[in-house]
Amino acid sequence: MSLSVPVAVVLLFMLGSALAAAVIRDVVGSIVAFAGYSFGVAVLWALLRAPDVALTEAAVGAGITTVLFLLTLARTTVTRSDRFEGISLRSGLAVVAIVVTVGATVPALPAVGDPSAPILAGDVSQYYLTNAYDQTGVTNVVTAVLVGYRGFDTLGEVAVVFAAGIAMLLVLRREAFV
Amino acid sequence: MIELLTTKYTYLVVVALLGIGAYVMIESDNFVKKIIGMNVFQTGIFVFFISSAFHTAGRSPVVQSGGGGGPFVSPLPQVLILTAIVVGVSLTAVALGLVVRIYERYGTINERTLEEVRADE
Repeated sequence: MSLSVPVAVVLLFMLGSALAAAVIRDVVGSIVAFAGYSFGVAVLWALLRAPDVALTEAAVGAGITTVLFLLTLARTTVTRSDRFEGISLRSGLAVVAIVVTVGATVPALPAVGDPSAPILAGDVSQYYLTNAYDQTGVTNVVTAVLVGYRGFDTLGEVAVVFAAGIAMLLVLRREAFV
Repeated sequence: MIELLTTKYTYLVVVALLGIGAYVMIESDNFVKKIIGMNVFQTGIFVFFISSAFHTAGRSPVVQSGGGGGPFVSPLPQVLILTAIVVGVSLTAVALGLVVRIYERYGTINERTLEEVRADE
């Protein structure tokens, strides 16, 4: 697919707000820019036909994560500043290394939205799309795969969230969540 | 070059987001901002997965009752990213908990100040 205008606008918005979150030295400003960035990501998921991911991103990415950042600031200090981050040799080299290495793989990837791309034409995706309704009785294939075919993966995810909760209680030395 | 920009545009954004995220993690000396950088890096990888699942004429992967009705976008990367988003939030929560603990113990969330405070002890 050639680039459509809504997708281009959202991608530019994401890049802009990610850059803003990166260079603003004021932590509160950076968090607000990051919340805007998460919102842009959620809209991008909706445009790329991933409504389940868009809902999760809007609730969890833009909502809970922002609240967690602000709660952390409320319990620590806020460093206000009207300056911007600089760029040092150390971070400059790391960024160049990552961009060159990852960027070198881009020409080898199939075009975005190409129906003959292995991920779309391959057996795995087609198996789920063909058989999900017969085998699970669920019309939403994402849900069918999440709690049906990959149910153990989701169990592992719940275990990670549980472990994170326990780790939070230990780190903050509390007997119960506030 | 133009062909790259019009057909593989989301992958170029992925590269940019990975660069921005790594830059913040290394360059910022504020721990909260480092975690913001980590989240940006993480989201860059999410963009890679979801855009690789995209099908130009595809619909959301909700089949008709009885199956069929395609073409659809691929459901599998979307499932993986749903899991990854929740795991990412757990990671952010634990990291921010550690930041709060560091502040309680050393009274700072600045990397350089923390190094000085620890060197004095």
